[in-house]
Amino acid sequence: MTEDTGLTATKMQVRRLSRREFLKLLQGLGIGLAAGELLRQQFFALDAPEVQASGGQTDSKQPYWAMSIDLEACIGCYRCVYACQAINDTAEGHLWNILIEDQDTFPKAVFLTRPCMHCENAPCVEVCPVQATYHRPDGLVAMDYDRCIGCRYCMVACPYGVRVFNWQENTAPNPQVPTWGSPEVPRRPRGVPEKCTFCAHRLDAASERGLRPGYDRAATPACCVICPTQARRFGDLRDPNSPVSQAIKGRETVVLRANLGTKPRVFYLLPR
Amino acid sequence: MRRILRNNRFWVWVAFLMIFVMAGLYAAFLVFTRGLVVTNLKDLAPWGLWIVVDLSCIGLSAGAFSLSALTYLLGRDFLKPITRIATFIGLLGYSGAMMCLLLDIGRPERFWHGWVFWNVHSMLWEVTMCITFYFLVLVLEVFPMLVELPFLARFKGLRQLGHALHRFTPVLALIGMGLSLLHQSSLGGTYGVVAGRAALYRATMPLLFIVSSVAGGMAFTTQMTLIVQWLKRRILVPRQVLFQVGQMAGMILLVYLYMRFWDSTAGNYGYVPGRSEADTFLSTGTFGLSFWGWEIILGGVVAATLLIGARRLNSIPLLFIGSGLTMAGLIANRWNTTMLAFTQPLSTNPATTVPLTVHYSPSVVEWATALGIVAGLTLLFSLGMRYLPAFRGADPVPAEAPSTTVVANAPATAAPAGGDR
Repeated sequence: MTEDTGLTATKMQVRRLSRREFLKLLQGLGIGLAAGELLRQQFFALDAPEVQASGGQTDSKQPYWAMSIDLEACIGCYRCVYACQAINDTAEGHLWNILIEDQDTFPKAVFLTRPCMHCENAPCVEVCPVQATYHRPDGLVAMDYDRCIGCRYCMVACPYGVRVFNWQENTAPNPQVPTWGSPEVPRRPRGVPEKCTFCAHRLDAASERGLRPGYDRAATPACCVICPTQARRFGDLRDPNSPVSQAIKGRETVVLRANLGTKPRVFYLLPR
Repeated sequence: MRRILRNNRFWVWVAFLMIFVMAGLYAAFLVFTRGLVVTNLKDLAPWGLWIVVDLSCIGLSAGAFSLSALTYLLGRDFLKPITRIATFIGLLGYSGAMMCLLLDIGRPERFWHGWVFWNVHSMLWEVTMCITFYFLVLVLEVFPMLVELPFLARFKGLRQLGHALHRFTPVLALIGMGLSLLHQSSLGGTYGVVAGRAALYRATMPLLFIVSSVAGGMAFTTQMTLIVQWLKRRILVPRQVLFQVGQMAGMILLVYLYMRFWDSTAGNYGYVPGRSEADTFLSTGTFGLSFWGWEIILGGVVAATLLIGARRLNSIPLLFIGSGLTMAGLIANRWNTTMLAFTQPLSTNPATTVPLTVHYSPSVVEWATALGIVAGLTLLFSLGMRYLPAFRGADPVPAEAPSTTVVANAPATAAPAGGDR
C-alpha cells in the first residue's frame, strides 16, 4: 500500500517535470544528431580509408605486391635513389630510398637500400591518431595528406626510419629532373610526413592502361625499372611467374627486423 | 624609481614575465608562418623539447585529479583548500600542454581531426580525446572560482551557474579521475608501444608515468602553495595539510622508485636486444649524470626522504626542497626518456649494428616558445593567486592556532597519508 503511493508520487513528479523539459531535451538531441550527421558527411567523405587500422592482409584473390632486393647484385650505384627522387618529386635530401653500405653483417660488404616495407602489421598505421596512414585494399601502406595533422607519431613508430617530414614547403627545383625521370605525382604540402608508396600511382593506372605491374615498365616502381643489375624486382607474390617470385625462387631471403613481427613486403636476397 | 619598483613588485614581476611571453609569441608566430623548419627537429628525432614540456606540464598537473579524488570521492574534506590550488594549476598545466601540441603538429589548423577521424588503435588518439574531455572537466571545476571575481558580480546568472556547477564537483572529480587514470598512463603508453625504439618499448611505461605524475603533481602543488604563501604572507592551506600532502607525495614517490628499480633490474638480468643497451646508455652515457643525479638520487631518493621527513621534523624548508626536487626529478625523467629515445635511436636503423647518434638540441625558437609558455602559465597563476577570491587566504595566525586544528583533524588524516587503502 505504502509502496504504491510512493511509486505514484515519483511518477507524478517526473511527469510534472517532463513535458517542457522533455521536449527541450528532444530538441537538443535532434539538433545534436543532425549536426553530427552533417559533420560526418562533411568530413568523412574526404578520402575515407575503408580498410581498418590493423590487418594489412589482402584476400587471396587480390595480388600480394612485394619487392625483392638482391644484396648480391646491388652495386650501390644510387640509381634507384635518384629515380625515386625524380618520379616522386621529393625535396633535396628527402630520400624515400635510403642506401647504406653494410660492412659488418656478411663476409663481404653489401649495399643495402631501404624503401618503405609496406608492412602487413604496420606500426605507423596502428599509431596514427587520425587514420591518415592506412592500408589500401591491396595491402599497401598509403597516406592521406589532407587528413594528416603532422604529429609525427608514425615517424617515431616506424622501425625502419623510412619516413621523412616536410619541415618546410618544397619549392626548390628537383636536382634529379630531368636526368633520372620526371615527376609523376604532386608535391606534398608542408607539415606532413611522406614515404615510399611503391609507386602506387603506377599500379593504380596499370589496369586502365592494360599493363601488368612487375612485367611492364610503366606499371612497375621506378626504382625497379631503373636498376641496372636487376637487383630490385617487383610483382605479385601470388603469381609464381612474376619477377619477384622468380627472383626469390631458390634464394635465401630475410626481412628486416623480423623479430618485431611487422611482416614487411620487402624481401632481401642474401649474398650467395 | 627604486621606490616605485619596490611598491609595485607584483607588476614588476608581471612585466618580467611579459618579456618572455612576448618573445614566445613572436617565436610561435615564426613557427606558424615558416613551419617546423625553424626547429632543430629532424626525421630521426621527430619529437623534442615541446614534447618534454608537454609531458612535464601534464605530469605536474596530476595533483588536480588525485587531490580531487581524495577530497570529493574519499571525503577528505580538509584537503579542499589545496585541491582548489591543484585544480587551478591543472587547468593552467593542460592549457600549456595543448599549446605545446599545437606548436608541435605540422598542420595546426587540423588540430580537430583527432576528434573526427578516430583511430582507436592509436595511443595518441586516446590521449587527444582524454585531454580534451579532461580539459573541459577542469574548466568546469575552475569555473565556480572564476565567477567569484568581484567585477563579475553584476552578472547574477554566472554566479548561479557557478554555484550549480559547484554542486557537481564530486561527479566532476569522478570523471576527472577516470580520464586522468587513462591519459596519464597512455602518455607513457604512447612511448611504451613503440617497438621500433628499444629504449621506449616497455610495458611498464604507462604505470611508471601515472605513478610518477601523481607524486610529481602533489609535490608541485605543495611547492607552489608554499611559494604563494610566502609571497602573499598569508595562509592558504593549513601547515599540517601541506605536510600531509607532501608525505603522500613522498610515499608515492617511493612506490615509483620501487617499480622503476624492478623495471630496470628485470630488464637487465636477461639480455634484451636494444633495450639493454639503452639502459646501459641511460645510466652510463651522456644521460648518466641527469639520470642518476636528477632522476634517481636527488629527484627520487632524496626527495622522497625529505618529503616524508619534513612532516616528522615539522620543517617547511625540507618540505620545500623535497617537493622542488620531486618536480625536478619528474621533468628530468620526461627529458631523459624523450631525449634518449630520439638522440640515441638504438635500433631504428636495421642495417647498422652500432648505435646511431642523432644530434638534436632545441633551437632558439623552440626554447623561446617553451619559455614563453612557462612564463605565460606563471603569469596566469600569479594573477589567479592574487585576484581570485578563492585564494584570498587567511592572515597568519599565532603558532598555537594551527596546532589545535591539527589535533582536530588528526584522526581523519591518518588514512590518506598511509596511502594503503
